[in-house]
Amino acid sequence: MNAERYLADVEIAWCPGCGNFAIRRSLAQALAQLELPPHKVVLVTGIGQAAKIAHYVNVNGFNGLHGRTVAAAAGIKLVRPDLTVIAESGDGDLYGEGGNHLVHNIRRNVDLTVIAHDNRVYGLTKGQASPTAPQGYRTRAQPAGSPSAPLNPLALAIALDAPFVAQAFSGEIERTGELIAQAIRHKGFSLVNVLHPCPSWNRVQTFAWYRERIVHLEERGHDPADRAAAFAVATKGGEEIPIGVLYRGERPTFGDVHPVLQGEPLGLRPLPTLHELSPLLAGFA
Amino acid sequence: MEVVVRIAGAAGQGVQTLGEALARAVFRSGLYLHGELSYHSRIRGGENAFTLRISDRPVLATSAHADLLLPLNGKMLELYRPSLRPGGLLLTDEEVPGEGAMRVPAARYAREDLKLPIAAGVVLLGAAARALGLPPDRLAEAIREVFGDKAEPNLRALGEGYRLGPEPRWTLPPAQFRPGERALLTGGQGVGLGAIAGGCRFVASYPMTPGTAVLEFLAQHGLRHGILVEQAEDEIAAINMALGASYAGARSLVTTSGGGFALMVEGLSLAGMIETPVVIHLGQRPGPATGLPTRTGQENLLFALHAGHGEFPRYLVAPADPADAFYLTAKAFDLAEKYQVPAIVLTDQFLVDSYAVVPALDPERAPAREHLVPREELERIPRYERFALTPSGVSPRAVPGVSEKLVLVDSDEHDPYGRITEDLGIRRRMVEKRLRKGEGLRAEIAPPEVYPPGSVRGKRVLLGWGSTYGAIREAVELLGDGYVHLHLRELWPLREEELRAVWAEAAEVILVEGAATGQLGKLIAGETGLRPGRLVTRYDGRPFTAEEIAHEVRG
Repeated sequence: MNAERYLADVEIAWCPGCGNFAIRRSLAQALAQLELPPHKVVLVTGIGQAAKIAHYVNVNGFNGLHGRTVAAAAGIKLVRPDLTVIAESGDGDLYGEGGNHLVHNIRRNVDLTVIAHDNRVYGLTKGQASPTAPQGYRTRAQPAGSPSAPLNPLALAIALDAPFVAQAFSGEIERTGELIAQAIRHKGFSLVNVLHPCPSWNRVQTFAWYRERIVHLEERGHDPADRAAAFAVATKGGEEIPIGVLYRGERPTFGDVHPVLQGEPLGLRPLPTLHELSPLLAGFA
Repeated sequence: MEVVVRIAGAAGQGVQTLGEALARAVFRSGLYLHGELSYHSRIRGGENAFTLRISDRPVLATSAHADLLLPLNGKMLELYRPSLRPGGLLLTDEEVPGEGAMRVPAARYAREDLKLPIAAGVVLLGAAARALGLPPDRLAEAIREVFGDKAEPNLRALGEGYRLGPEPRWTLPPAQFRPGERALLTGGQGVGLGAIAGGCRFVASYPMTPGTAVLEFLAQHGLRHGILVEQAEDEIAAINMALGASYAGARSLVTTSGGGFALMVEGLSLAGMIETPVVIHLGQRPGPATGLPTRTGQENLLFALHAGHGEFPRYLVAPADPADAFYLTAKAFDLAEKYQVPAIVLTDQFLVDSYAVVPALDPERAPAREHLVPREELERIPRYERFALTPSGVSPRAVPGVSEKLVLVDSDEHDPYGRITEDLGIRRRMVEKRLRKGEGLRAEIAPPEVYPPGSVRGKRVLLGWGSTYGAIREAVELLGDGYVHLHLRELWPLREEELRAVWAEAAEVILVEGAATGQLGKLIAGETGLRPGRLVTRYDGRPFTAEEIAHEVRG
């Protein structure tokens, strides 16, 4: 399938040179590679520059509240396992305001693909530090530098036993598309943390900065089935930035274990009949 | 004819279970009852009391006084003895001097003969059943229903209680209704049953008293009726999950109390913006903040009505009794779907936890109707627009993945397709479209109830809403000629015509409300300029009784 068909022909409100353009292209390539019919995909986003992607891709869209992306996506997937549900937003949305939902939906192991546009800043609100900003990172809101250590989303997800954890770099469109496709195909909760520069607000982590530091895990002999090794990669620190699949495991999904979710999707079931209700109500008489 | 039985004990002594068993036995005898559960916010210790009014006519309110008192420990004896009416009977395992008290050695039997100390309460219950003139078989049947496979020692405890108990002090009236004509349920069960009848398929909720009763009821029934009930990580998740599920085609409910509802408020506004139905059960308890977690109150009317930034229509109902809870929750599901709005079912701890005998629930009076655009019609639309501008404001609603038409919703202001826009002309048309739905909704509201029916000319009108219904009704009967009960169930959109007529004719309107500031009065005044002449308020966490209302109204 042609990736172009997934790209909506609308005016795009991202800044020129924004990494979001490349991620949109990677997402379209992944959908094309998997030959997913647009009407069988729901793209759930929150609020932020990244979250506007729901309007720029030709699939169903739920552009909800800031921070609540994963919660809304989980609601959709639980009642409609027949749909491919992708939750996509920025690092502020997914890791800051929405951190609790990320944690608990990994626990639930809802079969979602979460794509985090991680540029380490808040773009839409003009450049404040995000949860992944480096300690000491200076902004107008953090003039003395961000006092807190950055969140490590990869280590968090692996620690919580998310069954698929990967990191991508938006400067590599093909590779990012391939990682997103793997994440969608993998059953259970998948996280793809996509590092991308913000040309407007982040003058430190630029394309060049990333290119000097990224290393590709498949070239390093990393075994994604080894959770301890994956955790070691995620927490190694230092100058190198790992790109690729850190962890790939198997765990029953919420839909596998919940007795109510066997059979027809709840979102498509018919309304109750008198035949069903009468004995229930008679039980109280 | 009326007898009031009060069972009081520490939390963990089984007060609720004993009360439920007695209520079932009374119900199976064809008698009306109201059973009120009052408890402290703790699992062990604390004070629990179950007040059961047994009557030959419908009762929907509780009583401050008791005719038959069963304190399960010395502290409860001290606490509740003053509530015993003169001539009443006290049954307890404590040493009690004076008339009208009888010691029943329940604890020794439970401990030594049954090796089950907690069964002491059932021994006392057996003694009480004998005093009430309730046939032993009837209570035994109820014990079997309530205790299930743990019934056997409790049946022995019951038998011992009958043996030890006093000669019958009361003669219960004959059955007032035939089996099947009436139902025994709590308000919480009414909400849950209404949700099932309304086609609910998804519940997300974070536990919070008293909303939890509905969460647990639906979790237990969801397995059979195809309802996914998920305990969310917080209330914010709950409403966002519910909106996701609703967008995807599953009718959805969240159930909470004031504090949890406060967390949901941004989600409520999202429901208004993306025109996605959701039903919110808001079980009130006294605030502010954590307030009195297990007590009752009516402090959230204006909060429920005004919650959510921006302007959008909503449907707000406050059931009067458990049957109402059933019908109005089902109606909330229907209207939420029909108008694509959030609907709030406003109850309180008193309604949620109290048992009452009501007319048998009729599923034909709560039909679930489909409001999604049929698939064939959807496929005929060349470019499907989720927010198409229509005269009614209601756009044909489709869910994703049932046809090739894409469904896009956006929390930002959006164009008819659902795409984010800053076109201010579209913005204006979208605001107007959303608000037009409120006009259709207004036409769905039933008139308020006036009792006795007829003219209110020159009468004093006791105005109430929600669970104060039974107490106000009885107060009006106590007050006699010249007093009328006006009750509102559907509070928003506010139906004004009957209110204007009442104010024009009545000698006085007295608002009775479980809040300090008279919130319904403020609501009506805001819409019509009409104000109640007097307030009868209660904000100590306890439900109203008829006597107290009548006393305050007389002044």
